[in-house]
Amino acid sequence: MTDGNTSHDAVVIERSFDAPADLIWQMWTKPEHFKVWYGPDGAAVPVAKMDVRVGGSRLVCLEMDTPGGPMQMWFTGEYREVVENQRLIYTESMSDENGNVISPPDMGMPGGHPATTEVRIELEDLGGRTKMVLTHTGIAAGSPGAAGWAMALSKLAAHVEAQAAR
Amino acid sequence: MALAIDEDRLSETFAALANSTRRAILARLAEGEANVNELAGPFDMTLPAISKHLKVLERAGLVERSQRAQYRPCTLNPAPLEEISAWAGQCRAVWEARFDRMDDYLSKLQPQRRTGERDD
Repeated sequence: MTDGNTSHDAVVIERSFDAPADLIWQMWTKPEHFKVWYGPDGAAVPVAKMDVRVGGSRLVCLEMDTPGGPMQMWFTGEYREVVENQRLIYTESMSDENGNVISPPDMGMPGGHPATTEVRIELEDLGGRTKMVLTHTGIAAGSPGAAGWAMALSKLAAHVEAQAAR
Repeated sequence: MALAIDEDRLSETFAALANSTRRAILARLAEGEANVNELAGPFDMTLPAISKHLKVLERAGLVERSQRAQYRPCTLNPAPLEEISAWAGQCRAVWEARFDRMDDYLSKLQPQRRTGERDD
C-alpha cells in the first residue's frame, strides 16, 4: 500500500529522538509510557487500552479540566499494521467509554474533526537514535479514494493560499 | 477560527475529494471558470457523468455554478479546502506538542544518554 505519496498526506511530521527504536516503539504500545506523553497540555490520559496486534482494538481516554469540571473524551480504533520496532498503523474515531463510535458533532466537539482518521508511525533505527515519521490522514486507508484525497490539497495549495491571503 | 469548522461539511469535503475525476475538475477550475462542456473535454466521459461529479462538488460547497443563461460557468470555492487545511494545522500542533513531551520523557527515562556523551 506504499504509494510514495506520503508527503501529500494531511499531516506528516518527522522527528529524531535520542533513543533506540525499541524504546520509541514502547512509547506507542505500552500504556504506562503512552499515558505520560500523549495527553495534550492540561490533559491526563486515565485509560489507554491497547491490544497491539492486527485487528486488535484500542481505547484511549483524555481527561481535561474545564471550568465546568473534568471532561472526558474517548477514542477508539483498530490496529491495521503492527511490525515491531518499525511500523504501526491504527485508526481513530471518537467514541464512548465502551468504544462505541460517536460522531464528533454528537460529542459536542467544538473543533472540526473527520469521523475516522488513520495514524501511521514509521521508525528507522539510526544506531541508537531513531527517526520517527508520523502520518495522520483524515480518512482511513481502505476507504474509497484514501490514497489520493490529499493530493488535491497539494495541487490546489497555491490557489488556496492565494485566496486566503486576500 | 477553529471553532468555525463544520464537521459535516468537513466529512463531505473529504468524500468529494476521494475521486480522481473530481480532483481533476477542481484542478481545472483552479485555473479559472469553465462550463460543463469545457470540463468534460479532457475526460472520456459523458456529459451527464461529468454533471454528476459536479453535483457532488457543489453539495460539498467546493464548486459554485452561476445561473447565467446557457453558459452556466462553474467556479472553484476554496473555502472547504481551507477548512481541511485548518484541521491539518490543528492536528499538527497537537502532535508537535506531544512529541516535545515524548522527548522530555525519554531523557528522564535514560538520563545517561544526555550526560554521558562528552567523554571522548
